[in-house]
Amino acid sequence: MLISFLLFTTYPLLWMTLTALRSEGDAQQRPLGLPAQWTLDNLREVFASGNFLQAWQNSLLLCSVAVLLAIATAALAAFAFAQFRFRGSNVLFLLFLLGMMIPVHVTLIPLNQLLGADALNLKGGLCALIGPYAGFALPVSILILRRAFEAIPQELLDAGALDGCSQWQSFWHIGLPLARPALSTVLIFNFLTMWNEYAFALTLLGPGCQTVPLAITEFKGEHDLRITSVCAALLLVLIPLILVYLFAQKQIIRGLTAGSIK
Amino acid sequence: MNISSQSIRQGRFRFSDVCLFLAPAMLLYAVFVLTPVGKSIQNSFLYWSSPLLEPEFCGLRNFRELFGDPVFWLALRNNFFLLLGSLLVQLPIALGIALLLHYPTWGQTFFRAAFFTPMIIPTAAIAALWQYLYEPQNGACTALIRLFRADFTYAWLATPGTSLLWIFVTICWQYIGFHTVLFMAGLSTIPEELYEAARLDGASELQICRRIILPCLKPTLAVSATLSVIGSLKYFDLVYLMGGGLPETSREVLATYVYRLAFDENQGRYGYGSAVAVFLFLLALLIVIPLQLRKPDRN
Repeated sequence: MLISFLLFTTYPLLWMTLTALRSEGDAQQRPLGLPAQWTLDNLREVFASGNFLQAWQNSLLLCSVAVLLAIATAALAAFAFAQFRFRGSNVLFLLFLLGMMIPVHVTLIPLNQLLGADALNLKGGLCALIGPYAGFALPVSILILRRAFEAIPQELLDAGALDGCSQWQSFWHIGLPLARPALSTVLIFNFLTMWNEYAFALTLLGPGCQTVPLAITEFKGEHDLRITSVCAALLLVLIPLILVYLFAQKQIIRGLTAGSIK
Repeated sequence: MNISSQSIRQGRFRFSDVCLFLAPAMLLYAVFVLTPVGKSIQNSFLYWSSPLLEPEFCGLRNFRELFGDPVFWLALRNNFFLLLGSLLVQLPIALGIALLLHYPTWGQTFFRAAFFTPMIIPTAAIAALWQYLYEPQNGACTALIRLFRADFTYAWLATPGTSLLWIFVTICWQYIGFHTVLFMAGLSTIPEELYEAARLDGASELQICRRIILPCLKPTLAVSATLSVIGSLKYFDLVYLMGGGLPETSREVLATYVYRLAFDENQGRYGYGSAVAVFLFLLALLIVIPLQLRKPDRN
């Protein structure tokens, strides 16, 4: 059973790789098995023609900004939820948690109006996505970071307070350094979620400004009949992801499951 | 000591600090999540005769239309198909694999990493890849069956009754590994002594599984089930992307219907689309809140 499931998981990726490395005629004649003749032409062609480099830049820039914004604001709020006792804190926290249940599609239409030409006029550019990405990243981030801040030994914070730390200083000098593992978890989770996000990008970005997922679908639409080219494009997009995954596999798995394991 | 440290902290605690810490997140959340949800509810009571004109209030008209709309019911049914499928197919398979991996074997890390791989791949790429696997003439699925039946051809994604089934197989490919990892984490928290005690008492492996593993895994199962339910209610990407030239309605789910109503060419039906979206949101709340509320009294 393990082996058959391993085949189920890996065969599609293997098939994609092999198809990217064969000639188009070969792919039409014998889709299975090893290529009759190995070739790098498809990869070279995609690399030269596609606008994947631009899409990579866009995605990298967008995700970095949005992740930083989300983490900075979430860390502040999570610290407040963990360390301050104030009236309404539970209600506010629940309100944030509610966000995990909100399907993003409920907000597509209003956000389209909000960011459209009549209001903020950000639609079509990368800036349009920063707000929605960061906003929807908050619930999980606050949940994970609050747990981390609550785990900080009270004595440390008390010692800080005795030495005259302000709340801000105890956040900056005690809270953040001690929450570093949780911060990296949140960073990985949000970055990958945003990197792969499709619905918002599809709705709010315009032609000429694409993230990686949009570039993939557009490339597939234009070269639909050339299986080898599209597989080569997919391979190009996946290689960096898989490489990062090989090296940071433990952290990534922990990051992507952290929100769910209590 | 405790009392004095408490008073120190309380003395330094100022209301302005709370505001300072919470304000940025609140602002971001309010503008980009809460307000849009509120706006969606408001929109669902409005009627646009054209996307360019001002909308007018129309009461419950959108909701009345909703309940008489066959596409809506079809989409809802499809959502429930995905929901039941993920609960009854994905989770048991994931649990089985996690159990197999739990017995001290070699290569646990390897299998875990391999099964988890689809989670890091953009769904846009998954959709493109699987569309080729399902290609009627020379996709890998067709070619594999041709090894046994030479003239086999089948339009996997373009056959109305079954296209959603094949999309579901792809969804399984995407998520089973994720649930497996969750279950493995849950299994690793069960203390070794419990097994040893049971074995000493002469329990069979099956009994151990039923009496020890499953009860201990309950919290993990609840988490997995909740995630599956929310996930399958708001499922969008693969269903939208793996169209295959079929009349869209036959594999429509609620989220894709919202998108199409509002943004497809010649549609721009913001009011009606919002009504579908609001229904989707309420449905999610209705199903998930009881699941969440049950948790505390069990612990």
